[in-house]
Amino acid sequence: MDLVLVGVSHKTAPVEVRERIAFDDRVLPEALGMMLGQLSCKEAFILSTCNRVELIVRPQDGCLNPQPLKDFLHNYHGLEPPCLEPFIYSYTKQDTVKHVFRVASSLDSMVIGESQILGQIKKAYSVANKQGTVGLLINNLMHRAFHVAKRVRSETRVSSSAVSVSYVAVELARKILGELQERSILLIGAGKMGELAAKNLIRCGISQVFVTNRTPEKAAEMATRFNGTPIPFEELHSQLVRTDIAIVSTGAREYVLSKQQMQKVVRERRYRPLFLIDISVPRNVEPAVNDIEEIFLYDIDDMKSVIEANIGDRKKEAEAAEQIIEEELEQYARRAASRNSGALIGALRQRIEAICLEELEKNRNTLEPGEYERMERMLQITAHRLAHPFIMQIKHPESSLERHYQNVELIKRLFDLDDKK
Amino acid sequence: MRRECYNTASMSTLFFNLSIIFYGIGLAGSAITFFTKGKRTFQAALAAVIVGFVVHTGFLIYRGIEKAHFPMTDMKESLAFFAWTVSLCFFVSYLRYRIRALGLFLLPLVAALMLGTIFIQSSPIPDILKSFWIYFHVTFLILAYGMFFVTFIAGLLYLFQERELKSKKPKTFYYRLPSLSLLDDLFYKFLIVGFGSMTLGILAGVIWAKQDWAKGWESDAKVIATMVTWAIYLVLIYLRTTAGWRGKRAAIVNVAGFLSVLFTLVSANFLGGVHKF
Repeated sequence: MDLVLVGVSHKTAPVEVRERIAFDDRVLPEALGMMLGQLSCKEAFILSTCNRVELIVRPQDGCLNPQPLKDFLHNYHGLEPPCLEPFIYSYTKQDTVKHVFRVASSLDSMVIGESQILGQIKKAYSVANKQGTVGLLINNLMHRAFHVAKRVRSETRVSSSAVSVSYVAVELARKILGELQERSILLIGAGKMGELAAKNLIRCGISQVFVTNRTPEKAAEMATRFNGTPIPFEELHSQLVRTDIAIVSTGAREYVLSKQQMQKVVRERRYRPLFLIDISVPRNVEPAVNDIEEIFLYDIDDMKSVIEANIGDRKKEAEAAEQIIEEELEQYARRAASRNSGALIGALRQRIEAICLEELEKNRNTLEPGEYERMERMLQITAHRLAHPFIMQIKHPESSLERHYQNVELIKRLFDLDDKK
Repeated sequence: MRRECYNTASMSTLFFNLSIIFYGIGLAGSAITFFTKGKRTFQAALAAVIVGFVVHTGFLIYRGIEKAHFPMTDMKESLAFFAWTVSLCFFVSYLRYRIRALGLFLLPLVAALMLGTIFIQSSPIPDILKSFWIYFHVTFLILAYGMFFVTFIAGLLYLFQERELKSKKPKTFYYRLPSLSLLDDLFYKFLIVGFGSMTLGILAGVIWAKQDWAKGWESDAKVIATMVTWAIYLVLIYLRTTAGWRGKRAAIVNVAGFLSVLFTLVSANFLGGVHKF
């Protein structure tokens, strides 16, 4: 896991800095090639989005100094080092893995749980793949990170609650009405925001759309766009009695729907719940309408307060996600440990065999013909048996990784081994 | 000697104790699920309740074999059977509606009833109860009460969800409960089926009384309490279907109905009458 990461994100740098050092799609392949050449590293990867720029390399010699990578970032963008220093963070080894897992799972995002970042990483990875700048370690890291992100998404609710006004409208509609198929919506007025919210609701399954406006032409025009039915403004009341959701966004300066009027509506609806969205500013629905039973009136501020609560909920869910990251990190380290063990095991075998055969070699001349071969075989088997318990230690990490690393270090020291070739 | 360990009496006690333990685990798991919103804990809790329910059923069967009658003739047995029906309702409602929060609200009653039965002495069966009609009479009534409990909880959850939606500040329930329409559906279905079951139970009782009981059963305390309960639910159904009452409007009638159920269950033991066993 000899990886080094250097990055700048929305958490450490203002947008003026981030935009200065972004790698756009056109220069990305070339930049990857330069990284590989200038830094003489085995693998290189760049992630560049509007919220973060991150560079990952696998150094040639196992030297984990982030400085060359930082210098590269400066030089590439024509900046004088160390002017980016206050904005840069760097990670090595296990910390790199953890950071990548967290970024992919959208725990490091500006809006926790947003879904874009995973797609951005996938895209950056495919570019690096095409350029051939990624190999075993980064391939492995990326695939693992995709898996972790998927787990976080499905096992926590970190990305399930709505954090934009038009999606909050959908979320609330579902909380009130359940499934949205078979439901109907009534659009009153032709405001832009209202249209946007309506579009989302329709996309989420609402089948019947009715449109009304004080100007009949406008209603007809909008109805064709939404594939709905225009309703004369005089029939507003009877349509309110029938509909499940009503979005009000007119340019009127006064209330279009009053409490008194809605009280009548709700009785005629026989208390069937009505979701009333008032996106107009100034408001078009008397706020007291919310006090009427089974009418749920939301204005723009109310939806914003739901967004706030949802963000709070996502943050709480993020704690559970961090738990998953820790689990996956442990597993990753374990696999990496047993994957890296090949070279060390080979070296250990050779070493023990050499020790065993050393004396035999010295006394070769004193041995009868044929005896040398027999003893060599015997000593080889002995060497094999001697090495076995050590190899088992290296191959199968025990419960605590910490202990495992200590054991491996000890074995290396005892036999004077180096697994870096 | 060894065979004695397996006699029906000790088997039924064993099953009884085991079911309490599993319901306890299920309840704890449901509570954890509610607070952490985890899926896995709920699956574990559900598994525990399923085992608890199976063992509970085993207890009722063994108890029936042991006493050679349907096990619902005294307070102890009818409470255990009531707990069983609530547990059954939990499964049915979960399978149909997938509301995880129901565990936390339905299972406490199951656990409480089971624990309660420990403290009640079993009494011998009076001859009068050795009748064919008791099966229908008691089974349908207790099933109805189990369903009314679900109705009660569904109404309550509707209120909680409605309040958070009205307040515009989603908190606990918004993130854990399903839509109002689903809760209303749960409420309505259990109300209707429960009411049907109760009506059948009462009819069975009336037929039985005409056949076997002396005159004057009509003025028995429990009979009157049952009729009051039945009337309250009739009103609730009427208001829901014709006037569309739900949520806050229906809440008072709903609560009154369930309090009346609880009172009916124990009424004979306070007020006396032909149902005192």
